[in-house]
Amino acid sequence: MKYPLIALACLLAGAAQAETPAGLLKSYEQQARQENPKFAGFSAGRGKALYYSQSQASGKSMSCTTCHSADPKKAGKTPAFRKIEPLAPSAQADRFTDMKKVEKWFRRNCDDVFKRECTTQEKGDFVSWIITVK
Amino acid sequence: MKARACSLALLLMALGAGFAVAGDDGEKKYKRPKQLSVPLSAPKVWSAECGSCHIAYPPGLLPPAAWKRQMDTLNKHYGSNATLDAADEQAIRDFLAATSTVNRLPLEPSPKAGEPPRISTTAWFIRKHDEVRADVWRRKSVGSAANCVACHAGAEKGDFDDDRVQIPK
Repeated sequence: MKYPLIALACLLAGAAQAETPAGLLKSYEQQARQENPKFAGFSAGRGKALYYSQSQASGKSMSCTTCHSADPKKAGKTPAFRKIEPLAPSAQADRFTDMKKVEKWFRRNCDDVFKRECTTQEKGDFVSWIITVK
Repeated sequence: MKARACSLALLLMALGAGFAVAGDDGEKKYKRPKQLSVPLSAPKVWSAECGSCHIAYPPGLLPPAAWKRQMDTLNKHYGSNATLDAADEQAIRDFLAATSTVNRLPLEPSPKAGEPPRISTTAWFIRKHDEVRADVWRRKSVGSAANCVACHAGAEKGDFDDDRVQIPK
């Protein structure tokens, strides 16, 4: 009787440690609140709009969809021919579960497309949309 | 004993002279990097970080000075921001510096100003691929000269053997 309980306890401890998209979103929410006392929540609609918005900032017209697919449940391709696994956690389970990785790609890709950093508001808007894509 | 040492010295001199002639000749001759195999001890951070947007190019393809320039300009990496966190960057720098010493070729800057050196614009690369027609490079299945694996299936392990080249249709 003891063993299943121990196993369950271990499972729960593991789950608490592993980041989830929801947990990651919570971190962005805390950060946004700290940065802006008037923070009024994230918007999935704005996040979706950001994903599809075309920018000329890099000198050519591009958006997130240029490399990630227009359908975030589908794989994309880098300009140098590497496959990009789907962005939506519904299609690729490990997406948005590793803050270091998520921050790295926001830093690089917001610079690639918009020639600037994305704000915490934008990152949270985007994550709140992408986790609803089914 | 003396005679022996003397003949040995003469032999070495002859060999040396032979090498010197070959060397002088070799300067004008065609040279390319030969030790391209990627060591099994290559750190994961290198293959993961350098292999997420393009294939992880074997370090022997460029000399150490060229890799240094790559690592110094990651914020402007052929039109992309490829910056890393400090610890990962250092680990990759160290691996590239140590592993690329097998490449003794001179650094060849990219013909395009403001970007780091390119493998595909080195003299040896151009010469090795001079029979590949422009329309073959443009094939969708090839993509560009950056896509080694299109024709060299073992490229990421450092296998560029001519006999195993398969150009896709």
